[in-house]
Amino acid sequence: MIELIGSLLILSGAVFLFSAGLGLVRMPDSFTRIQAGTKATTLGNILIVVGLAFYHPGWIPKLALVIFFVLMTNPVSSHALSRAAHRIRTPMTPATVTDALADDGKTGDAEGAP
Amino acid sequence: MIHRVGALFAVTLFALIFIRLAGGYTERSALRPLAEHYVLQAPLELGVSNIVTGILIAYRGFDTLGEVAVLFMVAASVGLLLRKDEADLGEAKAPQRRPASEIVMTGSRVLLPVILTFGAYVIVNGHLSAGGGFQGGAIVASGVMLLLLADPAARLNAAALSMIESLAGMLYVGMGILGLILAGGFLDPRFLPLGEAGTLISAGAIPLVSALLGIKVGAELSVIINRFRS
Repeated sequence: MIELIGSLLILSGAVFLFSAGLGLVRMPDSFTRIQAGTKATTLGNILIVVGLAFYHPGWIPKLALVIFFVLMTNPVSSHALSRAAHRIRTPMTPATVTDALADDGKTGDAEGAP
Repeated sequence: MIHRVGALFAVTLFALIFIRLAGGYTERSALRPLAEHYVLQAPLELGVSNIVTGILIAYRGFDTLGEVAVLFMVAASVGLLLRKDEADLGEAKAPQRRPASEIVMTGSRVLLPVILTFGAYVIVNGHLSAGGGFQGGAIVASGVMLLLLADPAARLNAAALSMIESLAGMLYVGMGILGLILAGGFLDPRFLPLGEAGTLISAGAIPLVSALLGIKVGAELSVIINRFRS
């Protein structure tokens, strides 16, 4: 029973990872691709690691560390990537409605001159 | 169209090659005589649980010393090749760098201790599980790289790092000479008591050599990364 729960969690994690891959192919511009990749892979990885914890209860402390590491690295690195992409004026899809980072730069003048 | 045919042709060729490789593979049921000797003798002679580390540091210790020397030469030549650029452009380029965002800075501050701790763990556990000086040193250097990427204003004390690196190298050679005097030969780690296999303090001088290797590799790679930044 416990192993079945673990397997289901790992399967759902794999589904999320697949949706991340699909998002990389289907999303229109680099920012939405980064977002799809980050969110889905973070959740997918965590689900797979939690599923593993059901299989091997003795690994739980190490697996918790793995989850912490994924939570700390994955969003931060894609934040840095997309910020860098924004700075070099990577084109956005025409469907983009707001550009909060550019607005922030205009009002606060934090970003400086281009 | 031609492209597609070409791609299809290449894929078919690859498939043929891999099918042949996979089809011809039979799992080896017994060890080769040399491997069998190492697998049987290393835990008894050296008291290591991780036979790979035993081979790397004891049986092929001289080889490892050569690898470390190669790495040292790489660090020295990188320094020699990049020094000119640093003198010309270093001052002019530095002010243009914009600071990283707050999220990146905070993330790197939280992660750096974790990465360095993991590197130290890998170094210290070299004789017990997968790991060792080279791998752990590379992990430590990756932490340094994260620091330098996240905070462009951070400065490494390259002189101190070079000093640490040279000191670790000298101590490593000193260990080898101790092995020559007290045990069977150059770099023989058995001049310290073997202890109980599988515990943290065991396997003679292998953990010490491993730690020295880790310090040396970490400092060396950090110096190389620091050179490439400017």
